[in-house]
Amino acid sequence: MRLAIYFVVAAVALFGWRFLRDVTTKRDTSNRPPPWRDVRVLAVGIQVVAVGILFLLGSWLWDNFNTRTDDIGLDPFDFAFLDQPSGISIADSDLNPNSPISSALRNGVKNTFLTIVVGIPLSVLFGTLIGISRLSENWLLSKIATGYVEFFRNIPPLLIIVFTWSVFLTGFPPERESWEIGDLFIFNNKRFAGPSIASQENFVAYRWLMLAALALAAVVWVVRTRLFDRTGTPHRRVLWSLGTFVGIGVIGYVALGQPFRFSTPDIVERVYEGGVKMQMPYAAGVFALTLYTASHIAEIVRGSILSVDRGQVEAGNALALSGFQRYRFVVLPQAFRVAFPPLINQFLNFTKNTSLFVAIGFAEITSISINLFGQSRPAPQILFIVMGIYLTFSLVLSTIGNLINGRLAIAGR
Amino acid sequence: MTDPLITATGDGVPLVVEPNTPPSKKLPPGEWVKANLFSNWYNSLVTLVMAVILIYLARFLIGWAIGVEWQITRTNLRNFMVGGFPADELWRPWAASLLIIAGASLGFGAMSRAEHETDVRNGIPSTKPTQLDLFRRFWPIVLLSIFFVSFARTTPPFIGVAVGIVGLFALREVGWRLPAVIRDRGVFVFAAFLLAGFGCLAGTGGLLAIVAGIIVAVLVSTELGRAGITTRAVVIAGPIAAGLVTYFVLSAIGLEGFGWDDWGGFHITIFATAVGIATGLPFGILLAIGRRSNLPVIKTACVIFIEFVRGVPLITLLLFSSFMLPLFFPAGSDTRSGLTRAMILITAFSAAYFAEIVRGGLQSVPKGQTEAAQASGMSPGAIQRLIVMPQALRNVIPAMVGQAIALFKDTSLLAIIGIADFFQYGEISNTQQDFLGKGLQPVTYTFIALGYWAVAYWMSRESRRLEMKLRVGVR
Repeated sequence: MRLAIYFVVAAVALFGWRFLRDVTTKRDTSNRPPPWRDVRVLAVGIQVVAVGILFLLGSWLWDNFNTRTDDIGLDPFDFAFLDQPSGISIADSDLNPNSPISSALRNGVKNTFLTIVVGIPLSVLFGTLIGISRLSENWLLSKIATGYVEFFRNIPPLLIIVFTWSVFLTGFPPERESWEIGDLFIFNNKRFAGPSIASQENFVAYRWLMLAALALAAVVWVVRTRLFDRTGTPHRRVLWSLGTFVGIGVIGYVALGQPFRFSTPDIVERVYEGGVKMQMPYAAGVFALTLYTASHIAEIVRGSILSVDRGQVEAGNALALSGFQRYRFVVLPQAFRVAFPPLINQFLNFTKNTSLFVAIGFAEITSISINLFGQSRPAPQILFIVMGIYLTFSLVLSTIGNLINGRLAIAGR
Repeated sequence: MTDPLITATGDGVPLVVEPNTPPSKKLPPGEWVKANLFSNWYNSLVTLVMAVILIYLARFLIGWAIGVEWQITRTNLRNFMVGGFPADELWRPWAASLLIIAGASLGFGAMSRAEHETDVRNGIPSTKPTQLDLFRRFWPIVLLSIFFVSFARTTPPFIGVAVGIVGLFALREVGWRLPAVIRDRGVFVFAAFLLAGFGCLAGTGGLLAIVAGIIVAVLVSTELGRAGITTRAVVIAGPIAAGLVTYFVLSAIGLEGFGWDDWGGFHITIFATAVGIATGLPFGILLAIGRRSNLPVIKTACVIFIEFVRGVPLITLLLFSSFMLPLFFPAGSDTRSGLTRAMILITAFSAAYFAEIVRGGLQSVPKGQTEAAQASGMSPGAIQRLIVMPQALRNVIPAMVGQAIALFKDTSLLAIIGIADFFQYGEISNTQQDFLGKGLQPVTYTFIALGYWAVAYWMSRESRRLEMKLRVGVR
């Protein structure tokens, strides 16, 4: 009943406002069409009806929701459960069953983030390779690349993920009989491990130094480019900035008294020491999703290269550019502009597809939430949080993408 | 660029030939190998490395496929196909599949004949597609059926698949020769067979009656249009009356069947895809129109819905369907069917994605079209229906097929919320007593991968074919 009153008030307010405006502004109304044929009246009318329907539907759903949650004694606005013990333990993390749910969710976000950060660059790299291979003049190579794309594009990513996981599970040996490549890599069906950098004394200082070196290298890059633009002397910016970075790195390493050493992994009494380790499901999932996403990226890369007008290549030929130069300075810059928006879309898809890791038991955000549902934690709040997290990921990625896209467009024409 | 020349290939598909490209030379084998595989030193190296990798991979895969135990797929073939469908009612899915194949190939024959006639009328050279051309289009599906049935342990499946394949090719021929009266209504022939097949499975009540009512209404309305009847009362009341009559007659007959909660396996994967497309597309078109509308309230609502659904993974939506959707219905309503709940969210999901595709199509229609229509005094509804939509939808048909493929692949996520679809049986079969702990997942998942691949690959080939054909139509 109250809802109906609100609705009537809203409708009257809208129409009244319009009426008042019409009355106060002096206008020749003699040849206006009747209200039921007047576009201006209709526009308001349709919207009032639309708002009404949405409002009634929404309030019906909302009422039901409130009644039902009351029935089962659930408060959908109570987020206190986040401080209760989660009952989840995640391997290779400091999360134990007693740590609060909020930290379990944080851990899930971290793991999702880790898959994105590693997986997206890998997919771009691999997809570009495959896409260029499809355009190769070598018949065999282009056919293999085509076969790859047609195969992986047409099976569900979930299947690829579970398949890879099951192959890794049966293909790699159990922990006791791990494969070791030299002292550098360890493979078994639980974890993969590889060499890494272990911090020694002064490592924090060294990290800051390297960050500064990176900034300096960027400055050198810009300076060299500007110099080239002004005077035409060869810029050699890659060499210059790499030299700056490595030079500072070496000097700093000596000056700070060996702030890091290389550490190789080792299993002592079933405990991993040194190196960097990852769980097999993580490796399998990222690997599988990379295969899948690469097949889509390959098509984008191929399409964008083909979209560059043939005359551009011929003009490059006429200027006696080498094959590499033609690609680097003529084709790729133009192709990249075409490829960028769909690439962003693929990044978003990758992000959303990491939720499929739930099927192989990798503790990313979705599988944490399903785990919590299993312990009959309140679903509305958890789903709200999880969807919010994915929306944030999507929003951040597409905002960055749009920013870059805007710059690309300006740089062009 | 100059206008493309249009010629015809054997299957009646016009082929675009760019006049400014040199004619392709047919090289003798020796020279071909030299030009395409060993043109210079690094190409030779690439060829050799690739050949070695390929040979090793092939040897490994063949060795694996021969060496491994396929018993698990043989035992579970029925599970993979129809899931837990009652065993003594198996004639239902068989009849349904055969009826649908029959309708599809009849309608397909009729439609390709109609297309052919149009081409001939427009002076585009066109010949009747041969059976070989048909096989070239359908080979993934045909081979998939043969692959599936090769795991059967009894005779009836072999007979069923043989009838289906022969029917596909034979009824296409019949469809081609149908009298023009029926031929021009090929879509409705297909729809009738589809409904009959669906009726065999699910009985005639409920959803089937609704769908049949809608189809009859559309049929009556097009027939009235053809007959040139424009009396407003008849044009509006006729189809509605016919649809309602159909609905009540079918509901009254009330043949018994099995609702979709008893279905499973490949069966439900295909069905969920079809429903997702059929329900998602109309909503998607509405959302796209809403998003382009200049009424702020409607536009905002559509934008929020589309961007929200597209911003979260499908799994979270499915989790919503299984954990939260029941909470939005009054106490006492029947929300037991997990698949129905999931389909509601899948509809929302595919509607949002279709909406973005349709929006792209709408944007590709030049504004002059709308303005010209407005200048000639058409109503806004008529402009959308007769001028803008046909052009917009034609431009994005390939993208929509792409979305259909994506949806087909995405239905595998139903397994995560515990619906026994094709994908789910890969895991279920591995938990059976005979196969538990034997690590046979690679076997079952290979089987499943081939099933998904064949259908999706077939769809993507069809989409490419459509794309070529539509490009020809562009003026």
